[in-house]
This record gives sequence, structure tokens and C-alpha cells, in this order.
Amino acid sequence: MNPHHHSSYLNPNSLKSRFTKNFLRSLIKINKQTPFPCRPTEMFQRCHKVKTAADKSLACAVGSRRVWSRAMLCKIRNRALRRGPQKPPSVRRIIINNRTMKKGFNCLKEKMNDDQEAGIDQTSKLRKLVPGGEAMDLCNLLDEAAHYIKCLNTQVQVMRSIADFYST
Amino acid sequence: MEMGDKDKFELEKRSDNHINYHSPDSMPSDWRYSSANVANSSLGLVSTDNQMPVCRGDLVGVSSCSSASMVDSFSPGQWDHPTNSQYLGFCDISVQNNASTSNPMGIRKGGPASLRTGLDKTLDIGWNPPSSMLKGGIFLPTAPGVLPQSLSQFPEDSAFIERAASGLKSLSVVQGQKNVMNMGDSSRDTSLSVEHVAIEGSPLKNEKKSGSLVRSHDEAKQGVGGSGNESEEAEFSGGGRQDKPSKLEGNGGEQSAKSPASKKRKRNGQDADLDQAKGTQQSVEAAKDNPEVQQKGDENPTSTPIKATGKQCKLGSQASDPPKEEYIHVRARRGQATNSHSLAERVRREKISERMKFLQDLVPGCSKVTGKAVMLDEIINYVQSLQRQVEFLSMKLATVNPRLDFNTEGLLAKDILHSRAVSSSTLAFSAEVPMVYPPFNASQPGFIQASFPGMESHSDMLRRAINSQLTPMTGGFKETTQLPNAWDDELHNVVQMGYVTCAPQDSQDINGSLPPGHMKAEL
Repeated sequence: MNPHHHSSYLNPNSLKSRFTKNFLRSLIKINKQTPFPCRPTEMFQRCHKVKTAADKSLACAVGSRRVWSRAMLCKIRNRALRRGPQKPPSVRRIIINNRTMKKGFNCLKEKMNDDQEAGIDQTSKLRKLVPGGEAMDLCNLLDEAAHYIKCLNTQVQVMRSIADFYST
Repeated sequence: MEMGDKDKFELEKRSDNHINYHSPDSMPSDWRYSSANVANSSLGLVSTDNQMPVCRGDLVGVSSCSSASMVDSFSPGQWDHPTNSQYLGFCDISVQNNASTSNPMGIRKGGPASLRTGLDKTLDIGWNPPSSMLKGGIFLPTAPGVLPQSLSQFPEDSAFIERAASGLKSLSVVQGQKNVMNMGDSSRDTSLSVEHVAIEGSPLKNEKKSGSLVRSHDEAKQGVGGSGNESEEAEFSGGGRQDKPSKLEGNGGEQSAKSPASKKRKRNGQDADLDQAKGTQQSVEAAKDNPEVQQKGDENPTSTPIKATGKQCKLGSQASDPPKEEYIHVRARRGQATNSHSLAERVRREKISERMKFLQDLVPGCSKVTGKAVMLDEIINYVQSLQRQVEFLSMKLATVNPRLDFNTEGLLAKDILHSRAVSSSTLAFSAEVPMVYPPFNASQPGFIQASFPGMESHSDMLRRAINSQLTPMTGGFKETTQLPNAWDDELHNVVQMGYVTCAPQDSQDINGSLPPGHMKAEL
């Protein structure tokens, strides 16, 4: 990942910097919103919030270019809608379903081939791991998985450095 | 000059690929056709007379007659065999007769398929003899006069037709040309050259979709590719197929139609139009030819797949460079099934393997892994471990960050993040990564504790990593080390909050190896 590291160091608009910005902003927001948790339940809630914030900021940093980022954003928004205050019906949810359904129909045949080729368990596991992976054929799934791994690496790096910075 | 024409033809053929051979071509086409006519009449094989004169006309002006259209269709093919131009017509004609009846080779443009195929074939095959004749200077625009000479040569080459039909296995135009050049002088050479020429023509023809010859082309190609020798080629082409010209023609037409058809279909589409036109016509042939072609493909030794395909690809790529249409163009490799489904499958499989290789680079420690299943397992494990790390870190951050209110925080963090300095602080957790990855089956609550025992075993690695990374960092980091110092009081609070059940452990572990500036050790 060294080349990525260098490029992200130099490039102010890289994924890493975008993610860092978003994440720090959301962390500050979380800290402002809730007082520092004393009880474990509050701690868990806070953890969950931080994790969601991390995922969301990563997906926003990636944008809509990737299937997995779109799927992740939709999942987060749906979750928020389900839990949160009553909001107008989630059009987004519907849209996402259509998209996945269409894709599913189109690549059902390919998915069957994929499973045969690469092992049913593994491809299904991978589909579950990669957000939005249910409705993709193996070819695109591998593509998305590669990008997702790259972004996860960035996320872990940034989060770790933040944690280190604030823990020292 | 002859060669110059040939070269020109070749170039045109390569660049255009289709029917765009106009004025320069028209000349050769003229004599070609005329020769073909003569050949036809003399050989009495096919009454192409009607066609020929029409063909003579403008190559591009298809509309005039079917034969003309056929001319267009095979003109590119003809051009491929620069040497052949005129005289191949003879062979083609003979082949054509048989082929036209038996082989409904659909040529490019509509018109009576049989006629077209016949013409195509004749024209294609006709190249063989001309080589020698061209050399001899018989090659003249005024074909009629020339024909008799060429015709005279025909009887000599009784096997000529055989070879012509079968032997249009063209390795490459260049090669064929060379062969032709060398062979051209003797009558014997003619037969050889014919074969070679045929060979040359074949790849080109394949593009065009000539009929019977295609099949022979394939075989010849394969045979030639393997040998790579002119002599071998000659032998192969001569003996290879067939002893029955008629059969050849019939079979060749169909098979050749099919194999090139499949190739053409998949081919880098020089012409989307052509492809479409061909496609419709080919589909009919394809049905028949499929089994035959596949058999042929299987039979033919795949000894020189690379060579043959390389040459073909050279021609193909040259021809197909201009338009990369919306199709995904794939060339069938030697010895591989040319079914459209299997080709698509192959493309897909190649894509998938390409992506697996890329993933191999991303996932650490997967360079030695071969096989999709194991690779996928590794990928799945890695993704899971990364996701767990994110969870863990978010938990950590949730406990660690009570003081993110400062405006400068973001800026500082960003600076830190974007400078390599931050990596030093991450080193403390770098040991976690390997720990996390392998024992990812540890339950979440026990996660933190589980990492500890492992850390000691990785302490060496950690120290090494730290040392390697710290050296560049120490230079730039003096500022950052000061910042944490200011936070000591607050940090104590944080530490007491218990985040870091692991932090003390970490610090203990790394105590010896961390630089004095590292706050962890102090904690």
C-alpha cells in the first residue's frame, strides 16, 4: 500500500483525507451530542454510533461510484429511518430494492455459474461481507471486493491513527 | 511493381478490412475477375462469366450485381493475398462451383449466397497460382491476355485445386508473400506458392468470411503455424487436407465458413455492419459447421497455438484496430471451441482470474496461494478481519475521545494523519493486526484479551516494524510528541476510564523498543 500512502499524503482530495475529514467531523458531533458515557449501555450505544459514523463517512468519501458504497449508504439510511423519528417514507429504500432486484434477475444465471466455479459457500460469504454484494455476478463482486478492501484498509489506518493520537 | 501492388493490397487490407478497396483495387480486381472469367470458362467449372464482368466493375459498387457484391465481400480477402490476386480466381472458380452448390456461404451483402460463396472461394483460391505468374510478369491489368498463361499452369497443378481449397491456411500475409516470392519462379513453386498464398489469404479471408477456404485455412494455419517453414507449409497444405477437392470445397466451404464465421463473429469487429451481415448469414452456416469446425479444431494439433494465433492476431488486430465497437471481441484461440457461448465463457473466466490476481496483491500473504477456492477463503478472512478491526477501533474511539471539542483537533489530526508521523503511533497496534487476522474466530468480548497473549509473540515483529518506521519518523515528529505531553492530565482521566485495558499492555510490550517520545510507554 505504499504507493497509496504516498499518494494520499500528497493528494488533499484523496480518499484518506476525505474520510478523515468526514470522520472527525462526525466524531466531534457525537462527542458534543452525548456526554461521555458512564454506563456500559451508553458505551455500547456510543460505540455503535462511532462505528456507524465511520462507515458512513467512508461511504460518503467514496461517493456513489461504487456499488458497495451506495449499498452501505442506503443501509445506513434505512436503519436510521427505521429507528429514527418518523420521516417521509423512504423512497431510497424502494429505489435500492428495485436496483438490486433488477440486478438479481439479470445475473441470476451468472451467479449460479459463479457458485459452481468458485464454491457456493465462499461466494455467498463474500456476498454477505461486501455490502451490496447480493446482487452482483462474480466478476463485479470481485471488483467491488477489491475496492472495498482497499477502502477498509484506509479506514482502519485512519481510525487507528486517530485512536493513537487521542490515546497518547 | 508486382510486389508493390501486393504490398499495397496488403496495407489496404490491413487498414480497411472491408470493402473499401477502391480504385487501387479496382485494377487488380479487374484482372482478377477477368482471369476468373477466363478460368471459369476454360475450366468449365462455373459459369461465372455473368458474374465476372459485373465483378469487374467497381468493387465497391456492389449494387450492380450479386457478384459485384461478392467481389466486395471477398475483395478484402483478395487483397490479403497480394500475389494471389488474379490467379486465385481460378481456383476459386473451381471451388466455387462445388461450393456454391453445397455451401451456402453467405457473403457480405445480400445477394445470392451461392454465387457469392462461389466467387469468394474462387477468388480466394485463385490466389495461389498467381503468385508464380505474378512473378513471371504475367500479372497484368489486362487480364484476358494473361489468363491463358495462368491457365496453362493450372493443368500442371492437378493438386492445385486441392491445395487451393485446402491449403488456404494462411499463416500471415507476410509469410505468404515471402513464400510466394520465393516460390514464384517455378511451376513447382506455383503449387507451393499457391499453398502459401492460400495460407496468406486465409487469415485475411477469415476476416472476410470466405467460404470453403476458411476451413482449410484454419487447418493450414495450424499446420503452418506449427511448422513455420515454407516447405512444411507446402506439405501440410498440400497433403493436409484433402485429396478430394470436391469434398474439400464442399466441406471447406462449410467449415471454413464456420470457423472464420465464429472467428469473425467474435473478431475485432472491423465492421459492425459486416459483422451483422455476416452474423445473420453465418448463423445458418454456423449450425452446420459447428460440429465440423470443432472437430477440426480439436484434431488440429495445438502445437503452435501461440504462433498461429499470434500471426492471426497480428492481422486481426491490425485490421480491427480502427473500430472497437460495442461488442466484446474475442478471437478464438487455436484448439479451442469457437462456439459463441464458450467464447463468452472464456472471456468471463479470464476477467475473473484477472480480478483474482489483483485481489491477491491486495490481501497480504496471498502470493503463494493458487486456486480460486483458497484465494476466496483468504479474501473472506481478510475482509472479516478488517471489519472486526474497524469495530474494535470504533469501540476504542468511543471510549477514548472525550476531548474532541477543540477546533484545532481536526487540523492537528489531519496533519498527523497525513504525515508519516502518525504511523509511529499506530505501531502499537500493528501487532494487533496479525493477531486479529489469524484468531479472528475469537469472540468479540474476548477480543481484546485474546490479542494480548499474541502480542508477546509478535513483539519481535512489532519491534522491527517500529524500528523501521520510527527512523524516518523521528525526524519529523518532534512537534507531535510535544502535543501529547500537553494532554497528559486529560489522558490520565481517559486511561482511568479504562479504555485501554490494552494500552498498558501494549506499552509494556513495547516498552523496550519504543522511543522515549512515545507516550504509551510513559503511561
